[in-house]
Order: sequence, then C-alpha cells, then structure tokens
Amino acid sequence: MSEKVIVIGGGHNGLTAAATLARHGRSVVLLEKRSGLGGLAAPFEIADGYRVPGLLHDTDRFRPAVARALELHQHGLQWRETPRTELGLSAKGRGVLLSSNREAMAQELQQHSPSDVQPYHRLMTFLDSIRHIVEDLFDSPPPAPAKRELGEAIKMLKKGWAFRRLGAETMIEVLRIAPMCIADWLNEHFESAHLKALLASPALLGTWMGPWSAGSTTTWLLDELTRGRAVAGGPAALVDSLRRCAEAAGVEIRTGCPVRHLQLENGRVRGVELESGETIETASVLATTDAQTTFLELIRPADLGVEFAERIANVRSRGLVAKVHLALSGPLENTTRPGSFERMRTGEHVDDLERAFDAVKYRQISERPILDVWVPSLEDSSLAPKGHHVVSILAQFAPYDLEGGWTDAARVTLGDRVVDTLAEYAPGLKKRIVARQVLSPADLEGELGLTGGHLYHGEHALDQLAFLRPVFDCAHYRTPIEGLIVGGSSCHPGGGLTGVPGWLAAKAL
Amino acid sequence: MSRHSPFHERTAALCTSYRWKEWAGYHAVCSYDTSVEREYFAFRHAAGLLDASPLIKYDVRGPDAAAYLSRLSVRRIDKLAVGRVVYCCWVDDRGHVIDDGTIARLDEDAYRVTTGEPELWWLEQNRRGYDVSVEETTHRYGVLALQGPSSGAILSAVTGTDLTGLRYFGLTSARLADRDVLVSRTGYTGDLGYEVWVEAEHALPVWDTLMTEGRAYGIVPAGLDALDVTRIEAGYLLLGIDYKSAPRCLIDAQKSSPYEIGLGWMVQLDREPFIGQAALRAEKERGSEWALVGLDVSWTALEALYERHGLPPSLATHAWRTAAPLYDGKRQIGQATSGTWSPTLKRNLALATVRRGYDRVGTRIEIETTVEYRRHTIPATVVDRPFFDPERRRS
Ligand SMILES: Cc1cc2nc3c(=O)[nH]c(=O)nc-3n(C[C@H](O)[C@H](O)[C@H](O)COP(=O)(O)OP(=O)(O)OC[C@H]3O[C@@H](n4cnc5c(N)ncnc54)[C@H](O)[C@@H]3O)c2cc1C
Repeated sequence: MSEKVIVIGGGHNGLTAAATLARHGRSVVLLEKRSGLGGLAAPFEIADGYRVPGLLHDTDRFRPAVARALELHQHGLQWRETPRTELGLSAKGRGVLLSSNREAMAQELQQHSPSDVQPYHRLMTFLDSIRHIVEDLFDSPPPAPAKRELGEAIKMLKKGWAFRRLGAETMIEVLRIAPMCIADWLNEHFESAHLKALLASPALLGTWMGPWSAGSTTTWLLDELTRGRAVAGGPAALVDSLRRCAEAAGVEIRTGCPVRHLQLENGRVRGVELESGETIETASVLATTDAQTTFLELIRPADLGVEFAERIANVRSRGLVAKVHLALSGPLENTTRPGSFERMRTGEHVDDLERAFDAVKYRQISERPILDVWVPSLEDSSLAPKGHHVVSILAQFAPYDLEGGWTDAARVTLGDRVVDTLAEYAPGLKKRIVARQVLSPADLEGELGLTGGHLYHGEHALDQLAFLRPVFDCAHYRTPIEGLIVGGSSCHPGGGLTGVPGWLAAKAL
Repeated sequence: MSRHSPFHERTAALCTSYRWKEWAGYHAVCSYDTSVEREYFAFRHAAGLLDASPLIKYDVRGPDAAAYLSRLSVRRIDKLAVGRVVYCCWVDDRGHVIDDGTIARLDEDAYRVTTGEPELWWLEQNRRGYDVSVEETTHRYGVLALQGPSSGAILSAVTGTDLTGLRYFGLTSARLADRDVLVSRTGYTGDLGYEVWVEAEHALPVWDTLMTEGRAYGIVPAGLDALDVTRIEAGYLLLGIDYKSAPRCLIDAQKSSPYEIGLGWMVQLDREPFIGQAALRAEKERGSEWALVGLDVSWTALEALYERHGLPPSLATHAWRTAAPLYDGKRQIGQATSGTWSPTLKRNLALATVRRGYDRVGTRIEIETTVEYRRHTIPATVVDRPFFDPERRRS
C-alpha cells in the first residue's frame, strides 16, 4: 500500500521516521509546528548575532544502525574522529580531563589518582562485555513479555540466551547492579571523589534521581553503553543530513504547521486537523510528540479510553533541567587548567550532585547547580561575532513545578546561580557577558511543547523503560487507536538523540 | 462518625422508634414509628416527607459541562434543556456500570449530578481536557422528598405557585417559607412526587412550613424502610443491592452492563464518543448474558409451604435484600436481589437478575425460600416492571 502517512513532529525522530517510511515507498507528509526542523536538536538563537547549534550537547548517542539504514553518509553525515573530552572543573587542583579515548584517560588517571587506573580498566572491560546486549536491546523493539506468540517467545529466548552466554559471573553482576544507586556502585570501584562525581553525572540527566537514588546505575549504563562517535558539526549537522535524506526520499515537509487534533472515527484515525483549520485525510499517523501531548492534547478526551488516558497521565515527566545560554565578548577562561575546553562540567563530589538534587524534592532551584558547559563557538566560529563566544549550559536542577512558579524573578535567580557557580572557576566571566538567556523547564514546555519541559519526553526509570515505555499497551509503537503509531522519545529506547524510536516506529508501520 | 442532616433537629425529635441507619455518612431514619405501615400508606395515599439530604450531590459547572457530562454518560446530556432532569447511568471503559443517578440542568453551564456512591474520583479523573469544575455539594443542601398523591397540592399551597404544571422530570425555582428553593418533579417511589432543594441554613423553616401546611393533606414524615417498599413496587434499582458498582467489585462476574440491569433503554450509542461506547455497542450486537426482571412470587405456593409445616404464612414487614437463588429445575439461573410484599398490589414481588432466555414476561422459574430453616423452592413468574405505575406519576 502506498497510502499517505502523516508524521507529526519534525524533531530528529520525526525526520528519521519520515525518511524510513518514504524509503520504503510510502508517501509521507511531515508536519512540524515550529518554523524550523530539529525539535530539541534545532539551533537556538540567544541574541542578535549569537546562536547555539542546538539545545542539546551530545550527538554521540545517535545510533550507527540508523545512520546505516538511512545511508546518511550519502546525505552529508560524518562522524567526528577526535575523542570526546570534558574537563571536570576544580577550584583547587587541576581537575580531571575525561576522555573517550582510553589511553588518554588512563594517563590522566595516572596523574590524578593512580590507584584508579586498574579499576578503570576493569570497569571498561566489564562494560565491553555487556555492550552488545544493551545495544541489541536498544536497536530492536522491546520484548513483549505479555504477548502469547511463538515468534515473540523465540525473540525473548534469544535475548535471554545472549544474556546467559555472558557467563554466570557477568550475568549476576548485571542483575546485581541494575537496581543499585550509581554512588554505591562507583564507590565499589574508585577512590577519587572528583572522578566519581564526573562519572556519575550522566546517570542523572532526564531522570528524577540523585546519585544516591536506587536504579540510577541502570540509567547510567543506558547512557554510557550507547555512546559512540559524535556527529561532526553537532546536532545541526545531524538534523541537516536527516532532512536531506527525507527530502531525497520524497517526504513532503511542512514547517509552521501545528497539528490541533487527530480526527478519529470509531477508534480509527481518519485525518488530522491543523491549527490553521485545514484538514488532511489519512488513515495512518505517526506521532513523535511526547506521549502526553499525543494522547491527552492531540486526541480529544472523548476518543480515548479512560484507563488508558489515566495511565498516560501518570507517566512521570517532571522536567528538572534548565538551559542557560551566555553570549560572551571573549573566550571562556578557566582557572582549573590552561587552554580552551569545548566541554566542562562542575561537581567535585557526589554529595554536590545529591545536594543539588535535594532542592527539587522541595520544588526549589539548587543553590549550586551542577553545570554541563559547552562552548560550541570553539568548533564553529560562525555562531558568534568574531572573537566572541557562545556558552550553552545544562543546569541541574531546576524543577518544572517550582514553588511560586517560573516568574521573571525566578529566572533571574536561576541565571544568577548558574553564572555565580561557573564564575568560581572562571573569574573573568561576568564582565564578558553580553547576553544571557534562561530557559526553565516551563519555558521548554512552552517553547517546544514538551510536557513538563522534560528533555526525554518522560523520565528514564526502571518502570518507564523498554516494554513499559511509555505504557505497556503502546510500548511497541502501535496504540489502542487504530492507525496511530507513536515514535518519539516517549517510546523505547527513550530520549536522547538516537534516532531509534522513530526508526523502529516506522518499521512497525 | 456520621453527620447530621440539616433537618436532624426535627427528624430526631419525631423518631420515636430510635430506628436509624447510616446513609452516605449521615444518620438517616429507617422509620419514625416501630412499624413501617403508616409511612408507607402516606406515600401511596397522601404524602410522605422523607429527608433525602444525604443524597450525594455534585455541581458541575463550566463552558464544557454539557460535552463533559455527555462523554461520561450513556445518554446524551448536551440536549438536556435548562430546567430538566434525566435519570442516567455511568459506565467504565468496558461498559460496566459504575453508578446511576440523576443529572439536572440548573443553568446554561451548570448541572447537578446525584449518585448512589461517592464518585468524585470518577468525575475528577475524566475532567482532563474539559473546561469544567466539579464540586461536591452534598452538605450544602437539604433535600426533602415529598411523595404521594397529595404532594402536588401541598407544594402548590406552600409555594403559592401552581406546581401541577411542572412536568415529570422538570425543575423550577420557587419560594417556600420565604426562602428560595428548587423543586424538581422527581423521586424514588414511582408515584407523583417532588424533591425540594434548599440551602442547608434555611432547611428548618422549610420543613416546618411543609409539616404545618401539609397536615390538612395528611402529610407524614417517612423513613427509608417505607421508601424501600415503594421503590421495589416501582421497580427501581438500588446500587449495591440489585447491582454492584464496577470499580468496587472484586471479580468481573460481579459487574454488570446497563443492558444487564434493565437500563439498556437509556443507552444512546450513535453519537459523539462516550466512555464505554465500543464495549456497549459490541454487547448490543452480541446480546447480553443477563437481564433484570420483575418477579411475582406465588403466594398460594408460599401459603401451602407454610401449611405443610403447620404454620400460618409469614412475611417480613419490610422489604428484604438478602439475595435468593433462582432455578430452572436443578439449574441455577440467577438470583433475586431484593423484594417485598406489596401492600397496595397484594403481591409478593422481587427484583431479579436472570440468565438470557429467562427474561421474557410469563417465564416460570423457581425461587429458593426457607421455612423453619429448611430450604424449599416455590414458583415465581417473570412479570412486567414497574409493578406499580399509577397514571399520576407522569401526568
Ligand atoms: C536541554 C536539553 C538537553 C539535552 N541533551 C541531550 C544530549 O546531550 N544528548 C542527547 O542524546 N539527548 C539530549 N537531550 C534529549 C534529546 O534532545 C531528545 O530526546 C530528542 O532530541 C528528542 O527528539 P524527538 O524527535 O523525539 O522529539 P523533539 O525533538 O521534541 O521533536 C518533537 C517535535 O514535534 C513538534 N511538535 C510539537 N507539537 C506539535 C504539534 N502539535 N504539531 C506539529 N508538531 C509538533 C515540536 O516542535 C518538535 O519539533 C536533551 C534535551 C534537552 C531539552
């Protein structure tokens, strides 16, 4: 059948889904609300003459399997060959320079904390031994334990068998650590407090967890084990190649086209109605908006089962990451180490992370937020006027449901705390700030239509992953509504610039 | 601890029997006298005045109220005119009944919903996406059910308005004892009757005026026992007795669809989506497993049974609600869930749930009964409901 499919959302998952469908001969119309493509991966203007290439920082989670399937290299995609480095900022010492290159990392540890070198190698060996299991889970639809089908049973057995083949020791270790908190687990391995804090940080992105929260080891493994090479040119370049691929396959892309409602008849998709009032008839829709937007906003409540709607409403989606963008009249210097660093991170102790997380439990902004700092203008000087720079900061934690609400004053408080924290390592910073932009989770919700301002379209947690993501009866991309497929970050394998949800959803259709 | 209704001062003083029960968290009178007779006959021959304040009430307001209630209910609410009331039931996704009650349209954007059990959770859960507010207002109003052939005359006299023009299931505002009240032509006795809604702080003068002015018409304060007899004569269901609320059931077998409890007539399938629509449509096509019927239990057989034990026939003086199994020969085909001796019809009546195929009027089955601790069965016949339906109920 070559009947028309409507893809809602022009984020990277929507583009991936649209391209996949079109390459399989479907005629596809992609509808994006905003004027540009890329969603969370789209460039963002800070002030006149200053831009960041995307709200997100890392492109190293984009899956090679997706790139291969879409032949993205023919559409301009290039992997970045240089290793990823990140400087752990320290007020006193030289900090720690994390590197995705193991040799470099071992050398760094030799300087920083020699007793951690061997444990580091051991940890890497362990991760290598289980990587294929996680990658396989990641690149294929989630298991369906409730399904009574032979094919499904065989798939589960295969996965189980692969897991079993790890050997008893490794298998038991995986089962042991999965529900653990990342702080405990890292304590089993390492001595350096600063190293542990830096390693633990990624476990907390997109979760409602501190380093002492149970289950944070799973979110850590998920993040760590699915990282590979970054995309040269960052998120903007990736989105560009996805767009080209989609266009080459014949996808009709319409930006500035917000969808108002799905039109249903007897539980079946019949078309979509745009904000403009225009309606497009179709029997198939693939939505990459987050689950709550898709089911609770784009579908009229009357068209949805009560129990199902309730479960969707219960998906936890409490954003706690804020973005702060700075435009600087000069480089961002730091006192930790001489030189310019594209990526830097604060937090010298897991207690710093936990303390920062504590605040959101009481609906407060962290006194000293943990900062993930990116200076994209070091790679791409066109982002700012000559000699000037832009700084993109992911700040944790700032709760979506801040006590008193996200007033202008609250935004100023957040911006001040972020700048104050960074200035501890960069004394000249404040004088160089030309412009400052603060995006709270509430702003992310307003700007990008993200429920709860949550960057992963729903928290990553043991009960919200795999066949439980977003809820069990649409975890396999099909939904209780005939003709509606979901394929955004709300679906397995979840948030992040991976391309997988969109790809698997398109294949499910 | 149970609460006092706004009429408690008056009802407590009159309740010489001390027979009370709990109703939705309130003290409620079972019968003022030790016997139910006088109150029952007031309902049927003059007018009974029942304190129905514990009736659970929710006020639903907002521009989307009509659409919201239509989505929630098995029948359309958006067509309900201001000043009208409907009887209705609500089902879950799978078409199982949650509760039944009335919806009154008070105003353009304001409705009052009454339910048998507390259902705020349900109303709240389904509010998402609709511009409506839902507020429980049970405690804010005193409600008096004035039921019986003289009820219209009494109310017309005390309000100084001719209420005989108020249609069945109509609603109007009026003045009573110098207070603003709402009068609806609704009730649970299957007779001519009204319900008077008054703000709690004005409750007592309304009661006093009705009692004083009503004396000439034979008004009698009546309790829940008399009501129970009349509601069975009228063939009305009681939640928790004749069917169970789906979310409160422990197993699926305890749940019922509207078709299975005799409320299929109110289901309007072909319209905008509503909760349970697909399940109800499927059941309608498939046919239901169960049906609710009225039974006439053979008096002569009962008499003969007692005779065999050397006893005169004996019946409880009020309605019963301990379920009794029904049989076709040895096969159990359902259960009678409540019943009563009807003093007006002089028949032994029951409401029952039977398997498909046993619901046609005239079908003869057997009902279990015990005499002297011994189990017997006696014949019963499926008959039309309501058992008692006087012209004046609707006219
Ligand atoms: C601040 C931040 C930092 C992040 N950091 C990283 C990181 O470093 N690494 C990483 O891998 N991931 C990161 N993420 C997560 C990652 O960006 C997302 O998981 C991913 O980009 C989501 O892609 P998507 O296509 O599923 O959804 P989106 O990119 O959200 O796309 C959804 C699209 O739908 C559109 N839309 C919404 N409503 C409508 C409508 N009614 N009609 C039509 N279109 C509509 C939106 O405009 C949007 O373009 C970060 C996210 C944020 C917010």
